[in-house]
Amino acid sequence: MKKPKKKHEPLLENTPFHRMLSRRSFIKGSAIGGIAVAAGSGLSLNLSALAQTTSAGKSEQGQWIPSTCQGCTSWCSKQVYVQNGRAVKVRGNPRSKVNGSASCPRAHLSLQQVYDPDRIKTPMKRTNPKKGRHEDPKFIPITWDEALNIIADKIMALRAKDESHKYMLMRGRYTYMRDIIYDHMTKIIGSPNNISHSAICAEAEKFGPYYTEGYWDYRQYDVLNTKYILIWGADPLSANRQVSYYTSVWGDVVGKATVAVVEPRLSATASKADEWLPIKPGHDGALAAAIAHTLLTKGLWNKEFVGDFKDGVNRFIAGQEVSESDLQENHTYGLVRWWNLELKHKTPDWASKKTGLPADQIQRIAVGFGQAAPHAISWVGGGPVMQVRGAYTSMICHALNGLTGACDNLGGTLVSNKEYTKHFPEAEEFYDEIAKKGKKFPKIDHRGRKDFPCINAGKPGSAVVTNRAADGILNSDPYDIKVAIAYMNNFAFSCTQPERWERALSKIPFLVHITTNASEFSWFSDILLPNTHHLFEKWGWVKSIGNGYRHVTLMQPVIKPMWESKIDETEIPWLIAEKLARRGFDNLLRYFKTIKDPETGKAPANEKEFALYCVKYTTQNLWDPAKYEGGDSFKSWQEFRRAGVWNSAPYPYRKRWSEMKTKTKKFEFYSETLKAALEEHAKNHTTTVDDVLAVSGYQARGEKAFIPHYEEPSILGDEKDYPFIFVDHKSRLNREGRSANCTWYHEFKDVDPGDEHWDDVAKINPIDAEKLNLKNGDQIRLTSPTGTLECRAKLWEGVRPGTVAKCYGQGHWVYGRVASKVFGKTPRGGNNNDVIPAVYDRLSGSTVRHAATRVKIEKL
Amino acid sequence: MPRYAMVIDLQRCVGCGACSIACRSENNVPDGIYWSNKITETVGKFPHVRYHYIPTLCNHCQYAPCVRGCPTKAMHKLDTGITMHDPKKCIGCKYCEFNCPYGVIYFNWETPHRFWRDEKPVIPGGTASPKELSEKVGGKVIPYYNPDREETSAGIRPKGVVEKCTFCDHRVRKGQLPYCVEACPANARIFGDISNPSSDVSVLLGKHRPFRLREQLGTEPHVFYIREYNPARYKATKGGV
Repeated sequence: MKKPKKKHEPLLENTPFHRMLSRRSFIKGSAIGGIAVAAGSGLSLNLSALAQTTSAGKSEQGQWIPSTCQGCTSWCSKQVYVQNGRAVKVRGNPRSKVNGSASCPRAHLSLQQVYDPDRIKTPMKRTNPKKGRHEDPKFIPITWDEALNIIADKIMALRAKDESHKYMLMRGRYTYMRDIIYDHMTKIIGSPNNISHSAICAEAEKFGPYYTEGYWDYRQYDVLNTKYILIWGADPLSANRQVSYYTSVWGDVVGKATVAVVEPRLSATASKADEWLPIKPGHDGALAAAIAHTLLTKGLWNKEFVGDFKDGVNRFIAGQEVSESDLQENHTYGLVRWWNLELKHKTPDWASKKTGLPADQIQRIAVGFGQAAPHAISWVGGGPVMQVRGAYTSMICHALNGLTGACDNLGGTLVSNKEYTKHFPEAEEFYDEIAKKGKKFPKIDHRGRKDFPCINAGKPGSAVVTNRAADGILNSDPYDIKVAIAYMNNFAFSCTQPERWERALSKIPFLVHITTNASEFSWFSDILLPNTHHLFEKWGWVKSIGNGYRHVTLMQPVIKPMWESKIDETEIPWLIAEKLARRGFDNLLRYFKTIKDPETGKAPANEKEFALYCVKYTTQNLWDPAKYEGGDSFKSWQEFRRAGVWNSAPYPYRKRWSEMKTKTKKFEFYSETLKAALEEHAKNHTTTVDDVLAVSGYQARGEKAFIPHYEEPSILGDEKDYPFIFVDHKSRLNREGRSANCTWYHEFKDVDPGDEHWDDVAKINPIDAEKLNLKNGDQIRLTSPTGTLECRAKLWEGVRPGTVAKCYGQGHWVYGRVASKVFGKTPRGGNNNDVIPAVYDRLSGSTVRHAATRVKIEKL
Repeated sequence: MPRYAMVIDLQRCVGCGACSIACRSENNVPDGIYWSNKITETVGKFPHVRYHYIPTLCNHCQYAPCVRGCPTKAMHKLDTGITMHDPKKCIGCKYCEFNCPYGVIYFNWETPHRFWRDEKPVIPGGTASPKELSEKVGGKVIPYYNPDREETSAGIRPKGVVEKCTFCDHRVRKGQLPYCVEACPANARIFGDISNPSSDVSVLLGKHRPFRLREQLGTEPHVFYIREYNPARYKATKGGV
């Protein structure tokens, strides 16, 4: 793609507003000069009628058909404007109570994804047996039949040798059809290795809410009823979650509530905030501790939720211990222990030294936040928690919601509404002896080892360690992987230190990639299978929360799939199952045939029926009047399909107070829930919790392990050699790292504050740039202890001196003609993951992205 | 006869650019050309910094310098106040582009959508060329071509002529809102008849003191801005000496 000749309008570029904006004589101007003319023919329009014509289908040549966008994990319900079988436009589905008609900018880019010329058209096979970054795979097209035969033979060969555990399924972006390919197919083949992408996303974000209020998931925030929003490293106007919804109300939110954003970079949300707290990366826990300390010493905690001292006298005095018996707690547990163990010395002055933020700002925010309680939200994003030791930061930042009583409250932080979809049938009777044996092997990602507690929702060893699987494969630890299938993922690009994945994937003798584009991951694969695009070509559904509702939103083929694409999660497993059955192993196909059309009772006869029945089967309770349980009601499948979305009942506030899924049913400031989980993990390894924490890289010992607390960051690299802390952030145009092949991505990349269009920049504070003699546009190299990337320098005041901020999303060396500079060879821009080391928050299994490493900057 | 105007509420605007991308989609606008655009500015020194965003588009001026300078009347005013361009009459002299004080008129220096005319695939046999793809899906040059645009003007403007925002005249005539207005996820754009005192735009302009770009030039822009991109609270102060 050629860089456009014209960069903006020369008259407007770099022009300070005041030169363009004159407020002079508006009234006079418009009233007298402005209206006049306009006589004669033309259309006379009633404006109130106009305002209601936003869906005037009849005057348009096409029609709007509902589906779902998975450009990010907001998972908005959409409508696609289809004209003669072609997708032309995308908008929000007004039927959704979560996102309504609002549609964020990245949704439009999906048109350039579905019609990306660089999508693979047919199955392909590698003809160059050598694998490596610099080995052209020399893919040649083959038929579906040939591809499926090869895959089935490989699976059968594994099973014949009792090596079914050496089969692996890697999952990327999914719908709730995932259980077919991810869970049931893997288990029926006989492998424990279904490895999801979840831990490279944000599992640490769920850790804090779980070990305080027993909820392992993303929250929704009641922003229209709140008075104070304290945001930690989340950027809801740009990325995850409910970007469309928050965008639609943010103008009202900033008018009603004080918004404070904690982030070392001036984010889109920070640019509209009252307070920006450009914290030193990794010290969020210190700030949260000081805010908690201030709320307590100033008596600003919410008495209704938390309770009070029996005699009403506040004994939270800086530096002084409090007796547990003096406090009567209502819906919380362990406040005094939290104070005594962690908070009593954590004054704003102390936090100021750690965070680099002024003590008076910390004080001001804490007091404002407390005064707004209970309508005061502490909104925890990935920034402070996808860090080494981020689990405890997740706890302490989220614990503020317990102090303000925002938890489950009006204007507070809310969990999921009820929904009534159902699971696929149990598959156990289809496990044969090989499968039963194979399933019992330990997983390739090392979860549950002593130094990888990975305690998802209280269960040690239950959380995936996506990025660690590369090391498992590389070291054949605990065994070698021989056959792998992966879908909608790109770990050789999207995981930190991706070079390990390049080597790991090269080592797998037979690798299949189900993908839309030939990506970095595909480069190391033996077979490529063309995947459908979720928004336009796929059957599935996902669920999501926001605006006090939950929706279940359908994806359906609104156009005929491009080329020979097939659906990753249903059609392709069916086709593989057919091939396996022909080879004498029909368990998978027999299982699939138990998923029948709820309307006719008919078993699926082919992959297309299977894809449809899977959706109808799991959503039956939503659309079948005979099975109605709540929320929106429909008369039939057809009616649900036309609407495209089911909405839950409104949120029931305060129903969870003292009914939480924690050990004590209370909001735990001293987490009995975490204590039980850690003790169970220690017992599994016949050791102590202290030992577990030591080998997993945490600082806490003793009782501190069970309370929300500040831990110092663990950042790779010496300050002398690597002067800058690397700050990774996301783009409002990223479609999970898959939109860099869209020209609109580059044309509009400068909608991310500080970024430039048709460029990939590292944002550097001018103070630092001067020391390095850097100017705007200089080609630079960032080097960390584990890797390098090249990009351009952008001098920007919106970054904290001592840090360098760069947006994730570019640096593809394949994927397509736009994403890469030279397909298969030269990247366009730099991939942040190349400088970020593969390190983990081992309590949650999360891959670390923030405060992970230091870098040096060299001018090229 | 209505006189159309747009009010942009900067407090509601989040600077996401959905207006501009949706405009590309609605009007088949080629890369490099921005019917809908923005001015951004980062003010202050760390840590007292904010970033501001003002969406821009053709101002549909009452006294439009682009119209006055056009030697062929290709650039002209509609009865509704919309500044319209007829590519058939355009001789590509670019006077309008030079005369426009807002830089919102673009010249097609090259055959538009060159990307989609490329005939080379990245993996021969395995992927398509852009041209092959667009033809396969039945698009017109671009695969997601919107035929609605043809109703009042060229669906894609040829090389050698200028182009710019038309307030989506092809939609407005059918009683639909301009697509940027409809697509704005923040409801930051309000469109309507400024000659009707009870229209939403008139009500808003009576309630807030608006500003327009370069008002001193007397062009009488019909895109009005209200409120602040960042209405941040601050503690009352008299400053100090």
